[in-house]
Amino acid sequence: MKKKIVRQIVFVVAVLCAWQLAYRNGIFPKLMFPSIGDIGNALLDGFSHDKLGNMVLYSLWLLLRGMGLGMLLAMVFSGLSIASSWFSDIYNLLVSIFDLIPGVALIPLAILWFGVGEAPILFIVVHSVVWPMSRSIIDGFRSVPPILVESGRNLGLSKRQQVFQIYIPASFSSVLSGIKIGWARAWRGLISAEMIFGTTSFGAGIGWYIFYKRVNVDIAGVFAALIVIILIGVVVEYLVFSTIERHTVRKWGVSR
Amino acid sequence: MGGQQMSESFPVDYLAIEHLSKRYLNCNGADYILKDFSIEVPKGQFLCIIGPSGCGKSTLLRCITGFEQYDGSIRLGGKLLREPAVDRILVFQDFNQLFHWKTALQNVQFPLKMSRKYEKAEYTAIAQKFIDLVGLSGYENYYPHQLSGGMKQRVAIAKSLAIKPQVVLMDEPFASLDAMTRKTLQSELLRLQSIERSTVLFVTHNIQEAIALGDRVIALSQNGVIVKDIPIEISKPATPATPGFSELWAELNQALSAEPDIV
Repeated sequence: MKKKIVRQIVFVVAVLCAWQLAYRNGIFPKLMFPSIGDIGNALLDGFSHDKLGNMVLYSLWLLLRGMGLGMLLAMVFSGLSIASSWFSDIYNLLVSIFDLIPGVALIPLAILWFGVGEAPILFIVVHSVVWPMSRSIIDGFRSVPPILVESGRNLGLSKRQQVFQIYIPASFSSVLSGIKIGWARAWRGLISAEMIFGTTSFGAGIGWYIFYKRVNVDIAGVFAALIVIILIGVVVEYLVFSTIERHTVRKWGVSR
Repeated sequence: MGGQQMSESFPVDYLAIEHLSKRYLNCNGADYILKDFSIEVPKGQFLCIIGPSGCGKSTLLRCITGFEQYDGSIRLGGKLLREPAVDRILVFQDFNQLFHWKTALQNVQFPLKMSRKYEKAEYTAIAQKFIDLVGLSGYENYYPHQLSGGMKQRVAIAKSLAIKPQVVLMDEPFASLDAMTRKTLQSELLRLQSIERSTVLFVTHNIQEAIALGDRVIALSQNGVIVKDIPIEISKPATPATPGFSELWAELNQALSAEPDIV
């Protein structure tokens, strides 16, 4: 575990050094390729002057709501597809169809249906989460060993009980990877939507910040926003997901 | 879930199977795996079922458990059995029948908890008692991946007995164990059954195991035809050194060796 972190830190430091060297030697135009210092300043500046902090919080708030709703729907639909073979057949078709459609491609429709505001953004985020997550949960459910399902059926468990007591825990590593995929897709959907919609009546998000910095040709500011996204991703990966894994699949001997 | 209450008035508390037939569809139409199988098993009997591969012994257990549709009737204390329920628990050969996300103790607790008949303190105490009975004290909080094959089967047995089913169905539970562990678990099972007095249907390939465990042994041939049905009246725990053992062994072996083994 420690070795892994040391290796990863060494890698990141090496990339930063290479970056700074490239900047010093002027390999790329300064406008395209700001220094580490410029990016750092833009980051500080963003938080102190440009309300980047508020935008990050607003984006996270949208993200959590969209992802929560998406996860709930994916769980419910995947569970229903265990309970009913009719539902399963149709839902599998829907997943194959909609998983192919990028969230951004739905933005014109979302505007038409929901107007401008939070609703279309949430719609895009939910769309980005539901299908890939369902895919991974359903794949997990399908690979649950029949002997575990029969152990549950033997006790006279209802379909609902089977889903909660057997399918979800037995396929938890797939459920978890579904959540991870959902999380990544949610970010993508959110940032794309924010860059196109700009601000909602409640506030502006990090996607808007990137758009705004781009328009002002503040490339260091664009990088600063990307770094914020990366940092949030790293924190969630290492704190949230790792903690869940440690207390579940690793403890159970399912994953190393 | 429904239909679990027993008809107390029914005088005989035995498992009665009449004209049980089970077919599997295949390209030639349908093949019988069990054809017109009938048997009565009194309460508390330890019945061992031996037979060649494909004779339908596992299918028989699956029909009784309620996992398969069948023709004919299977009754327990007069009640027709069609759906799985906690009054019949099937123990598999596969070590992976335990829930890997639960500890040994939680695995044993699970059926008790789902039955909603007990308070938490109650079912915890019952599960602990059965963990102790199968000799796993100290391993309560181990996850299945931390247990050996023999220990996993002990947990599976504890889990099946703790819920106090009327019938325990065992499908070669010791077949994947080494000889030493198997012998230990056989005597443990006998000891447990003498305490719990549940009806046991125990499927095995092993004649010696059948004689060592059973009060009665039936030998099946293809389509579940009973070729031998003998009571085992020698003293328990029976070993090959027990008087009468070799005669029983020879009798069953002869009945089975007349059968071609379909592999």
